[in-house]
Amino acid sequence: MIKFEHVCKRYEDGHEALNDVSFSLSRGEMAFLTGHSGAGKSTLLKLIMLMERSSKGNIFVGDQNLSKIPKRQIPYFRRHVGVVFQNHRLLYDRSVFDNVALPLEISGMNHRDVGRRVRAALDKVGLLSKEKLTPIQISGGEQQRVGIARAVVNKPPLLLADEPTGNLDPTLSAEIMNLFSEFSQVGVTVLIASHDLALIHHMHYRVIQLNKGQIMASPFTESAGDA
Amino acid sequence: MTDPTRSTGANSAQKPNAAKNYFKHHSSVAKSTFFSQLNRPISSFFTCAVIGIALVLPCLLILILISIQSISQNWDGSAQITLVLHKHISALDAGVLANDMGKKQSINSSRFIDKDIALDTFRAKFEFADAIDFLDENPLPHIIVVTPNEAIKSVEHIEQLKNSLLTNPEIESALLDVMWVQRLNSITKMLERAIWVIASMLALSVILVLGNTIRLAIESRKEEIIVVKLVGGTDHFVRRPFLYMGTFFGLGGSILGWILIQIVIYLLNQPIQELATSYQSDFNLSGMNFESTLLLLLLGVSLGWFGSWIAVKKHLSDIEPD
Repeated sequence: MIKFEHVCKRYEDGHEALNDVSFSLSRGEMAFLTGHSGAGKSTLLKLIMLMERSSKGNIFVGDQNLSKIPKRQIPYFRRHVGVVFQNHRLLYDRSVFDNVALPLEISGMNHRDVGRRVRAALDKVGLLSKEKLTPIQISGGEQQRVGIARAVVNKPPLLLADEPTGNLDPTLSAEIMNLFSEFSQVGVTVLIASHDLALIHHMHYRVIQLNKGQIMASPFTESAGDA
Repeated sequence: MTDPTRSTGANSAQKPNAAKNYFKHHSSVAKSTFFSQLNRPISSFFTCAVIGIALVLPCLLILILISIQSISQNWDGSAQITLVLHKHISALDAGVLANDMGKKQSINSSRFIDKDIALDTFRAKFEFADAIDFLDENPLPHIIVVTPNEAIKSVEHIEQLKNSLLTNPEIESALLDVMWVQRLNSITKMLERAIWVIASMLALSVILVLGNTIRLAIESRKEEIIVVKLVGGTDHFVRRPFLYMGTFFGLGGSILGWILIQIVIYLLNQPIQELATSYQSDFNLSGMNFESTLLLLLLGVSLGWFGSWIAVKKHLSDIEPD
């Protein structure tokens, strides 16, 4: 599903964020991406979302080589990648329902299907009763679940999450992580950048550890693939 | 997943409805943009007012120009060419000449004025006519007054006719009393050019004002734009509400401008008529007819769209998720 081949990312100021990174994730696999801040986690996710382009090497998502996607095709590509952000990135001037409906509206889905899909996604994250509220009226954990509903409402084959539990207490964090693992069980490839090592250890999923832009051998790597 | 940029399962099922959904989306964007502008009535009104006022001035000037042009077009028949014949031409020859000219296609009618009759008329009309008796001979020439064919309206054509008549050897000189028309024409030409200059400057200012308004709107919705781009919104999708915003401002501005023009015409027409009457003229400031109203609305809308398009083009590309 995702394949990195000797990927390097060097910024214009000379900072080398990723150096010769190679790994792959198969369909339906769930993995954690860890490392200190500045280790290149965010850069790696940005490369997959085409917010940045690699300086060297190839990245494949599905069968597609990302370096071959022209700029005007990027929006269409992003519709097939669900992303969950640390700070939720919800729009506070509209309801929970409208926030989740946004990706469907963008892809031009008709009104009736939008309602059906949005309610299914909200049901999945357990927020069906709060669709009319605005994000300000719900808790932080609920906001993050709205973010997850928005990321999966399009039924993307790939789900990325950047520190999805960053601001949440351990119980809420575990709930969120369980939600992700449920998605991976139905065939969605999930890659979660996180530094919540205790939680990661508890989850027994594959861990890709980055250090100064390179992939390190990880103590958790052995437990990969059993989920 | 074979190719993420192509539509997969869920999307392909809706292909037949794609066009319908597209228009539905347009109308919902238009609606929500319109109501969000109504929700900020004061700032929206001010933006429209700036556009409206900027449209009023050139429109009024154009209306004045059209009114003036209608004067110089309707000066019917007042153009007469006075042909002065050489002294040695006899009254008989002159009469024949006048008759011949009257038959020409370019000439509506011709009138021969015998110099003796002219002298008598002169004597009868003026007090100091006695002085004429001291002259040895009649100082007046024979004259033929020619009225051009009604089809010949423009000053240039009448001038041409005058010059062609002058080639006639019997004719010494020709007088054309249309100087005022010529002057009016050159004034309207100048006015026309001035209007173009003023109108383009004001159009530019409308575009700048709108550009600034749209820029502020873009700034205030930066977070939304980033999120939309992150979940796969195309540039067109992001641009749409702002283009509608500019278009609505343009429409509102031109409607307001139309109202202002009606008010100004109402206020100006009475003094203009009084002035015109004192010159024995039926000059009237023409109002906005259906076509010019439509043109004004179209102009406002296209300026609004264009202004926002420029602003969007310039500022939206700066906003990329980071």
